[in-house]
Amino acid sequence: MIRNTKRETLIAYILIAPFVAIYALIFVYPTIDMFRMSFTDSPLIVMPNGQPPEFVGLENYTRLASDRRFDTAFWNTAYFVLLTVIPGTIVALGIALGISRLSGRLQALVLALFFLPYILPVSVVYRVWDWTLNFQFGIAMHVFDMIGIDRVPVFKVTGWFMPAVALVTIWWTAGFSILLFLAGIRAIPQEIYEAASLDNATRWTTFRRVTWPLLWPVTALVLTIQLILQLKIFDQVYLFSTGGRPNDNLVLVYYVFQRAFQNDHGGRAAAIAVVLFLIVIVVSVLNFQLMRLAEKKQ
Amino acid sequence: MNKFVALAAGAMMATAAQAQETVVWWDFLGGGDGVRMKQLISEFNEAHEGEIAIDATTLEWGVPFYTKVQTSVAVGEAPDVMTYHASRIPLAVQQGVLDEITPADWEAMGFGEEDFAPAIWNAVTGPDGKTYGVPLDTHPIVLYYNKDILGAAGQLDENGLPIGLGSGEDFTAMLQALADSGEVTFPLGSVTADGNFMFRTIYSLMGQQGGELMTDGEFLAGDNAEKLTNALTVLQDWTNAGLQSTYTDYPATVALFTSGEAAMMINGVWEVPTMTDLHADGKLFEWGAVELPMIFDQPATYSDSHVFAIPAGSSQDPEKRAAVLEVMSSILQESLFWATAGHIPAYNAVTNSDEFKMMEPNATYSSLTANMIYDPQSPLAGVAGPMFDVMSTYFVPVLNGEMDPAEAVEEIAYELNDL
Repeated sequence: MIRNTKRETLIAYILIAPFVAIYALIFVYPTIDMFRMSFTDSPLIVMPNGQPPEFVGLENYTRLASDRRFDTAFWNTAYFVLLTVIPGTIVALGIALGISRLSGRLQALVLALFFLPYILPVSVVYRVWDWTLNFQFGIAMHVFDMIGIDRVPVFKVTGWFMPAVALVTIWWTAGFSILLFLAGIRAIPQEIYEAASLDNATRWTTFRRVTWPLLWPVTALVLTIQLILQLKIFDQVYLFSTGGRPNDNLVLVYYVFQRAFQNDHGGRAAAIAVVLFLIVIVVSVLNFQLMRLAEKKQ
Repeated sequence: MNKFVALAAGAMMATAAQAQETVVWWDFLGGGDGVRMKQLISEFNEAHEGEIAIDATTLEWGVPFYTKVQTSVAVGEAPDVMTYHASRIPLAVQQGVLDEITPADWEAMGFGEEDFAPAIWNAVTGPDGKTYGVPLDTHPIVLYYNKDILGAAGQLDENGLPIGLGSGEDFTAMLQALADSGEVTFPLGSVTADGNFMFRTIYSLMGQQGGELMTDGEFLAGDNAEKLTNALTVLQDWTNAGLQSTYTDYPATVALFTSGEAAMMINGVWEVPTMTDLHADGKLFEWGAVELPMIFDQPATYSDSHVFAIPAGSSQDPEKRAAVLEVMSSILQESLFWATAGHIPAYNAVTNSDEFKMMEPNATYSSLTANMIYDPQSPLAGVAGPMFDVMSTYFVPVLNGEMDPAEAVEEIAYELNDL
């Protein structure tokens, strides 16, 4: 049968057209508009009866250099990524290795327990941890009292805030990474382990020489997903710092929100969003290249 | 024949329905006051059956509400009338979100400048001298106190009012006496974990020294910085002496007071329904609420107002406009009932009525309307505004004794002027 490639291409185009149209409308167009807006002094929403925004060149970008809140937001985001990406991945890997040793119903039960937090909405996560760590009424504080340590206002002190939010985030999101790791572990052929045990390999050697290298593609995937996700951190920080010390706990997306929705500075908010966009791209590309390098080495 | 009658009846009903004007209403009243507003609305709808019907929606308070209003005005889907905070009017005028309440509108409603306290009228007046809101109430902060505990500690006068309200020393002495009595964990329940909330108290204490946050577009100019430092120092001293709760957020503060662990609490009048309802159920001690103590030279209390506002571009049709004006004026006339939510009605005719003067605890604290101060008139001010966030960030460490007040004020001045 002779295939009509022209016709097939046409059908392919028609089939992807709805997706491309929606993608262009709700992603490509707003992104381009964000770049344009970042060079103007536009408010968040330009009123039909209001003045049209004016172009201000690079001003929104140059002023970021001396902007204290941007500085805080930038370093807090970096700190948060440091606290969550690699530790979160290690925790998930450890739990996944443990679960893989269990079997049957018990395995399903334990997996479900670890996965449960992941299905909670962030507002519930916030409530749960606020009940636990609230300075006046949190249950953890009563435990502190019992064992005689001083109460700690965890979410109200700058030193504790980011580590605590990082811990909550790892607790909340580890379930998904565990699932990915488990799938990876199950894909490793059992014969390799049998061969290793015939060679009298210790547990540690087996892990280092068999599990770790064969699991590397999954680890790389988990790291990349975590990295992008944590760079965009907003919800937890926003919820845990409302009313507290918001400007000390700023992260980049939070700062975009403040500029856009509280100060009504659409242009300046767009500039920060563009910077974040570029950071995410650069970091992801770097991350990807590093992973490839690591893979080649192995 | 029957069919014909039914058709005719249907046609008649249709014209009746057309004559009825539907007023789309948005508010952000989600608490005990929301319940009372719903009752006012349903009473209005009953009284105006066939003429005007209010179609009300309650939305999330704060930034979500104000963002939604802004978006809806931009696309022409705004409601006919909405509630607004007076403190947000300067920003709203800059954004072009509000329609002017014209002199003709005021005349149609039968109100004018003389019907409201000067501070309130000033707060609804935009930078251009036009008015942008119809004030419904004023909701200041007050001092709640536990009569049982204060009485036992000998801190009540013969009228059942706290004795230490005259000066900073008196008030601190009263707090100390309560601490010494050993009856309570905290003499004063303070929202020390929420600088946003504490802005109200701290701004009041600045006002008690005649201080202003913003003069000629500059924040904390001249000796205003020193006055803010003084206010913060007083509060920090209470923390250092163990006289107020530390790192306590809003719900926890209310819980400390209602459970009797804190003898007093500075909070908004909107918590009055909480106390009234608990007391009616027999779950609360005897309590009272009074104007803030005079810590410095003159009485002053922070307040804000709920106002009615018309979104830009809405209610332009004369009949619709008339209906909206009727809604606003009727609710204002009925605002005695609104006072059961703790608020002080803005309309003087209501506050001057004998019924209001009998109403407790409102009547006890309504004297403060003479000493009210409002937010500075700036697009940066207002509930959930950027100014709040700057302040909050430094108030929390200061109030809990982590940071020196003078150092905090320096940082606040820098950041506010940097906004």
